[in-house]
Amino acid sequence: MIAKYYKVSRPSISCETAMTGYAVVLASGELERVQAVSMISSIAASSDTPVQVFVTMNGLSAFEKDRVESGDFQVAGPAGEAMLQSGGDEVPLFFEQLQRAKGIGPLEVYACEMVMDIMDTDLDDYVDVFDDTLGVAGFLNRASDKQVLFV
Amino acid sequence: MSDTPSPDVELDSRGATCPGPLMDLIGKVKEVEAGTVIELLTSDEGSKNDVPEWLDEAGHELLEIEEHDDHWAIYVETT
Repeated sequence: MIAKYYKVSRPSISCETAMTGYAVVLASGELERVQAVSMISSIAASSDTPVQVFVTMNGLSAFEKDRVESGDFQVAGPAGEAMLQSGGDEVPLFFEQLQRAKGIGPLEVYACEMVMDIMDTDLDDYVDVFDDTLGVAGFLNRASDKQVLFV
Repeated sequence: MSDTPSPDVELDSRGATCPGPLMDLIGKVKEVEAGTVIELLTSDEGSKNDVPEWLDEAGHELLEIEEHDDHWAIYVETT
C-alpha cells in the first residue's frame, strides 16, 4: 500500500534569529488577500514569532458578521471563487484560522478606529477575533520593531 | 523489514488543507515533551514540503515521510 518510502535526514537549525515579528496591515477585503494574511500570520504566530495584524480600510468589511454568515465576500479571481465554492469545508476561513492561532502563539488582531468611525460600527459588528481597536499611532508604536507587511 | 518509527502520538489531519495540518502539528508539538514521536497523517500534498521547512526552522527532527495512496504519514521527533 505504501507507494514510496524514504528516510529523511535534515540538519536541525537554531530557532534563534534577529526577527522580532511581523506587523501586517490588511487594507483589502478581497478574500484571497484576507485568507493569505490569516494563513501566514497564523503559522508565524504559532511558531512563536510575534504578529500584529492591523485591519483597516476595506479589510474590515471581510470581518463583518453579516458578511461572514452569508459568505458574500469580495473576490479578485479564480482562487477566491474556488475558496468560496468550498464553503469552508476544505479551506478554513480566515477568522477561524486567526482564532485558533491566537490560542497557540503571540498573535494580536486590531481593528482600525478611523474606519470604524466612518462606517459607524463597533467591535460587536465584527466576528470575534479582534483584541481591540487601534489608531495609526498605536499601530506604528507596535510596528516599530517589526517587519511591516502591507496587504 | 519496515523501519517505520513507532509513534507516541497520532495526529490525523487528513481532509484539511494548508495550513491546517501544520497548525495541528505545531499545536501538538507544544503540548508534548521532548523526544515524543508524532505521526502526522495528511492528505494535503503541500504539507510534505511545508512541514519539513517548519521543522528545520523550529529545530525538531523529521524522521521519515511515507507516501500512501491517498495521504502521507510524516514522522516527527520533538527536541
